[in-house]
Amino acid sequence: MFRQIYILYGLLVLGTVGYAQYRGWSLDSMDQVKNVPRSVRDNPGSYRSVYSGYHHYTGGK
Amino acid sequence: MSPLPPHPGSKPQVSGLNCPKCGGSITLRALGQASSVVCPGCGSILDAKSPTLNIIQTFQRIVSSDPPLIPLSTRGKVRGTDYEVIGFERRTITAEMVDYHWHEYVLFNPYKGFRYLAEYQGHWNDISICKELPVAVSGLSTTARMNYLGEIYRHFQSANAKTDFVLGEFPWQVRMGEQANVTDYVHPPRVLSQEQTAGEETWSVGEYLSGRDVWKAFNLPGNAPAAAGVYENEPSPFGGNLKTVWKRFAALACGLLAMMIGFNIFAMNSSVFQRTYQFSGGDPRAEASFVTNTFALGGRASNVEVKTSSQLQNNWIYLNYALINEETGEAWDFAREISFYSGYDSDGSWTEGSHEATVVVPSVPAGQYYLRIEPEADAGHSPINYTVEVRRDVPVSSFYGIGFLALLAPAILLTWRSVSFEKSRWSESDHPIFPRLTEGD
Repeated sequence: MFRQIYILYGLLVLGTVGYAQYRGWSLDSMDQVKNVPRSVRDNPGSYRSVYSGYHHYTGGK
Repeated sequence: MSPLPPHPGSKPQVSGLNCPKCGGSITLRALGQASSVVCPGCGSILDAKSPTLNIIQTFQRIVSSDPPLIPLSTRGKVRGTDYEVIGFERRTITAEMVDYHWHEYVLFNPYKGFRYLAEYQGHWNDISICKELPVAVSGLSTTARMNYLGEIYRHFQSANAKTDFVLGEFPWQVRMGEQANVTDYVHPPRVLSQEQTAGEETWSVGEYLSGRDVWKAFNLPGNAPAAAGVYENEPSPFGGNLKTVWKRFAALACGLLAMMIGFNIFAMNSSVFQRTYQFSGGDPRAEASFVTNTFALGGRASNVEVKTSSQLQNNWIYLNYALINEETGEAWDFAREISFYSGYDSDGSWTEGSHEATVVVPSVPAGQYYLRIEPEADAGHSPINYTVEVRRDVPVSSFYGIGFLALLAPAILLTWRSVSFEKSRWSESDHPIFPRLTEGD
């Protein structure tokens, strides 16, 4: 029983990996925004990023 | 324990006799084939071959604290043949000052002869006398092995067993207190048992049965007692799967590798934009954000890799990005930092950070896009040069890593459970996989 389940599970894993690669999935975090005004192109400062998921590190030993 | 050969064609014979000691009535179910019978009244062991039931052994009647789970005279079907339970004995081995009891049931069919059921802590075995003598296997193994009908049995345990309770009829002259050297060899689900007494050596082979099977075979009321622990020849629920699962893991891992190679070959992986910028440390109040030229992303909806690189030293730059579709206004916001530090201390030279950072934007439809970039750095920093490259439809190796681990995890889990099962099995043997700790260890 486990053997049958494992092969089905394995094929599901392969299918998911293949589908993820084909559809261009990503593991990176980001925010999606709709309807950004065209004026951003002429006035980049008018756009404020909503993204806050990346740790801002200012390191050094 | 040598059963007489069955007499084909002979009719079942049942006889009623009286005990010469107490006068109680005795019913012989295996008349002509049983060698001894126990008087249910006084417990005397009588010679069933003798017409007058000569007394073999008398003793004070023992009231057993664990009566047979299958009452005598119960009938059931074992491997397609009807059998009647005609005898019961309890046997005991003592190891490290602890008594371990098991129970044996004598089954009788007038045409097929005798077979036996053994029960230990809810584990059952269907036992019959060996058809031929097992052969010792020579080899480099540290444990003794026996070959019986082409199967190799590994030595499990040797012990001295004492009969301490008997009931019913037996095809040998049973004695209370009788002792035998018992040696078990296992090849789950079978066990090969050698019994040696002063003048006799008997080999029998048993096959593991679950209590539920026994209950069903004898139509017993209620449920069979739950089995405790792992028994010596209990088939591993994992063992049979293990080799197959690892073979399937290997095949699936090869499939995953082939898929990775295929996507690496056939992925577009094309550079659609690349440009180097400088973030100068001018007026900190000035607007730092800017937009790039537009670039085309073609093909099906697939990922986009934005790679930022800079050869900065002991410095950092943080870049807020927005990948914006010029036509639909759809945008993906993300950020990356590049920092690289190096130096020298008492431990020697060290480095920290990286000269590049990559982000993969998921499932971006085809269209015209541009990037809005907003760099940040320390106030009063020196000019920092950085390069931004955008690639379309890149292979993501982490998917394959995750896929590999996802395939590996069940195989590892199964192996671990199988090893645990075998460890439990062999912990009760003369050859524990992980030797038990003794006092002083």
